Amino acid sequence: MNSTVMNRADRTASRHIRLLEAQQAVNEILLGKSLQVRLSFCCLLARGHLMIEDVPGVGKTTLAIAMARVIGSDYQRVQFTSDLLPADILGVSIYKRDKEEFELHPGPIFSQVILVDEINRATPKTQSALLEGMAEGQVTIENTTHPLPSPFFVLATQNPLDLVGTFPLPDSQLDRFLISISLGYPDPAAERELLTTEDRSRMLDRTTSLLTPDDVKELQEDCEKVHVSEDLLDYIQALIKETRNDRWFETGLSPRAGLALLRASRAYAFLDERDYVIPEDVKTIFPGLSRHRLSPSSGFAQSADEQIEELLSQVPIP
Amino acid sequence: MMNPDQKSIFWVIATLSVAMAPQIVRMPLPIIAMALFPLLWRIGAELLGWKALPALIRHSATILALLTLFFSYGNVTGRRAAVSLLTVMLALKLIESYRIRDARLIVSFSLFLCATQFLFSQGILMPFYGAVTVIIALVTLTQLHRKEAFESVGETPAITASIFSELGFSLRLLALAIPVGLAFFLFFPRWATPLWGIPETTLDSKTGLSGSMSPGSIQSLFMDDSPAFRVEFESAIPQPPELYWRGPVFWNFDGKTWSGSFFGKNIAAKSRPDDQGAPWRYTVQLEPNERNWLFALDYPATTPMDTRVSMDFQIFRREAVTQLLQYSMVSNPDFADTPQMAETLKTSALDLPNGFNPRTRELVQGWRESGLTGRALVQHALDFFNQEAFYYSLDAPLLGKHSVDEFLFDSRTGYCEHYASTFTVMMRMAGIPARIVTGYQGGWYNTMGEYLLVRQSDAHAWSEVWFPGDGWTRVDPTAAVSPARVNRGSLGALSAPRHLLDYAWLRNMRNGIDVVQQRWNDWVIKFGASQQAKMFSPLGLERMTPSTLVIALFVAIGLFSAVLLPFILRTRGPGRKDPLQAAWQKFLKRLQSAGCEIQPSNGAIELAHEAALHLPGDSRAIHQIADLYSRYRYSPLPPSLNELKSAIKEFHPKKTAV
Repeated sequence: MNSTVMNRADRTASRHIRLLEAQQAVNEILLGKSLQVRLSFCCLLARGHLMIEDVPGVGKTTLAIAMARVIGSDYQRVQFTSDLLPADILGVSIYKRDKEEFELHPGPIFSQVILVDEINRATPKTQSALLEGMAEGQVTIENTTHPLPSPFFVLATQNPLDLVGTFPLPDSQLDRFLISISLGYPDPAAERELLTTEDRSRMLDRTTSLLTPDDVKELQEDCEKVHVSEDLLDYIQALIKETRNDRWFETGLSPRAGLALLRASRAYAFLDERDYVIPEDVKTIFPGLSRHRLSPSSGFAQSADEQIEELLSQVPIP
Repeated sequence: MMNPDQKSIFWVIATLSVAMAPQIVRMPLPIIAMALFPLLWRIGAELLGWKALPALIRHSATILALLTLFFSYGNVTGRRAAVSLLTVMLALKLIESYRIRDARLIVSFSLFLCATQFLFSQGILMPFYGAVTVIIALVTLTQLHRKEAFESVGETPAITASIFSELGFSLRLLALAIPVGLAFFLFFPRWATPLWGIPETTLDSKTGLSGSMSPGSIQSLFMDDSPAFRVEFESAIPQPPELYWRGPVFWNFDGKTWSGSFFGKNIAAKSRPDDQGAPWRYTVQLEPNERNWLFALDYPATTPMDTRVSMDFQIFRREAVTQLLQYSMVSNPDFADTPQMAETLKTSALDLPNGFNPRTRELVQGWRESGLTGRALVQHALDFFNQEAFYYSLDAPLLGKHSVDEFLFDSRTGYCEHYASTFTVMMRMAGIPARIVTGYQGGWYNTMGEYLLVRQSDAHAWSEVWFPGDGWTRVDPTAAVSPARVNRGSLGALSAPRHLLDYAWLRNMRNGIDVVQQRWNDWVIKFGASQQAKMFSPLGLERMTPSTLVIALFVAIGLFSAVLLPFILRTRGPGRKDPLQAAWQKFLKRLQSAGCEIQPSNGAIELAHEAALHLPGDSRAIHQIADLYSRYRYSPLPPSLNELKSAIKEFHPKKTAV
């Protein structure tokens, strides 16, 4: 009995160590972006989906591929284009003459990690096919419901500049993404290292998986056990209440966003090797979580990011 | 519409029950039933989910209650009736109270009901009982208020306060009210005579001696250990055989019962003893007894205010004593009471009903025939009591028609009443004018309080005989039988304890504790207009008008508030209650004074990062404290607080300019 407990503790500890190693491995590929990497893992552990929003060439795809590699899941990449159809994602049923029946050829959505490149290039119909799967954890093809694998993690990238011929996602669908991050240009030291060290794509090829899908599932369960005190709930409520004040944003955060904030904060605290959430976790998560959900009230020249910063600095920690 | 929850309702019921308990025990049975029925109904309704009563039943209950009150008391104007009305109406209010507003009303009126208990008893325990009632009421009000506050915000309380924190809160509120209460007590204008007269005969039972005496009537008093009065002597204290506290005097005997005479009650004393040079000067503090006579040692030389002294030296007061009464007396024992007596009085002092006690008459006749008269006969009678087998005991058998005969020849067991009655009858048969005096004998001297405590159990009866020229002379036949009765007190004379807990040490302890009640009477109950004036006289303010008193009252309350306000505000301030927050605030203050800016929107860790930039020398300590703090604040199993406290205690940042 004692040894079982020990084993369990050992297994938990080793799982946790491998998680940190995986995080480290991604950091080695994507230089100088440890916060974004940590947010990405946080999103994975909180059973959410990640949106990476930035100009081309800053490493969006590199991050996504590196994540997928270290998690060790089966991984599919879908490049969204304007002529992509739902069936290209979900899969199709094809008639097999020898068996005299239809057989499903599953599409890329039936993998554990999916990288959706340039999600805003596809038509709303195709976007919806993906987003339904993200929300429900299952897809329906020709009246048959198929469960999606678990863990199921979608990384989508979006190019904010190239707006010609894109279909921006409506707010309701953006809500499906737990966290959105933007990478930004690397700082000079990181850029120098990037220029002098070996090619990233080769490094990616070399990257081996450090976690198994089962590990990820168990880590996700571990995250849910992180303690949240009454004081912290007060703070989360205060933050959400403040976003609903119309001097900041057109609409405030929804209760679903509040739940997401709590879940993500737990995952973040877990990544920080704590079994309890502190307000700093919430504050770190908050911009990534609310950026794509909130748009500033009209009449403000400030961007959502600036507004969120301002809001965070005005809500006292109880 | 806001409704109190079940817990609050039970608190309301508890408040009302506690407030009405001391009142209800003195009420007639139908009224008790009328008050308890709604209470029990409501408890049942809460526990078993009964529906609210229809209006018709509620209204009929109200009318029924009013009728019950009217028929129990005959009117609804007296103190008792008014309080009963309040009690019953409050209880009835319970059956229709489903809103917070109603509940609060009941609690507020319960506080009023609690105050009315002082109309009936001003003993030292009453304020404590009142305090308990007030605390329960405050807890109830707090709960109702909290409930209402949360409902108006539309949120349910995340944390429910424990009963201890609510109690603590109520105690604090009560403590804050004490200075204000004290100010009202000291400065509220008193009038020498009350503004409103409390109707007479308002106490529930008369206590003490009664206006007539038949063998057995004092017996119940022997069982009663409540204080009758207390005496403080300015002069020397008389010896126990001289401590005869004179009360009602009885002249008329109908064969069974002694009663006072018309003359004795209505004719004033013609001559009074000299109050100059009198040996005994004292102040009596008489407990309320609903009678209108006062007690004094023989013979009263002065007349207290509002009283008159009758020809047999009873002191009568116009109104019954319903409140603690204090009066000063001077008594002079060296006085010849009525050396010459009118014939009518002499007749009255010799009168006996015909056809009673033939055996006694025969005995006395025998003594007279042997030539005994006057003092010799009195002495002979006393010797008779002393030498024959008479016993002093409370277990006296009931006497029949010839009560004196039966006592003298058959039972020979009795106490002061029997002896006094028998002796007086014998004297009258012998042609010596005699009468009975009742009152108290002795008392217990409380050395700590330096006063004499006389209890109801010290009640006594003795005789007075009249000789031409010498006047009335006190003769105590009980002393002839049992000298201990006079020397050691009524209870010391008994060989067997009166009841299970009747031990001498217990009696002595009780007598000793009485000093508390005496002090309470001295300092609180009798604090009136004259004491108030005395309080101001050292300040040179001899005459305080009511308006200056009211000004003084408000000034005092203002001063109290000015002193207390900072403390009250501090308790509201952040971190006062929570030791963790208190320590953290101290830490923040030190950081601030070292030149760090504190953003309220920053968490502890963030704050530590910024502060460490300012104070690189203390970076380690700052991080350690911040880490400990957020662990205590947010972690599920916070360890003891001492580590953080000591870390903060040792934290003294040096001011550095960055």
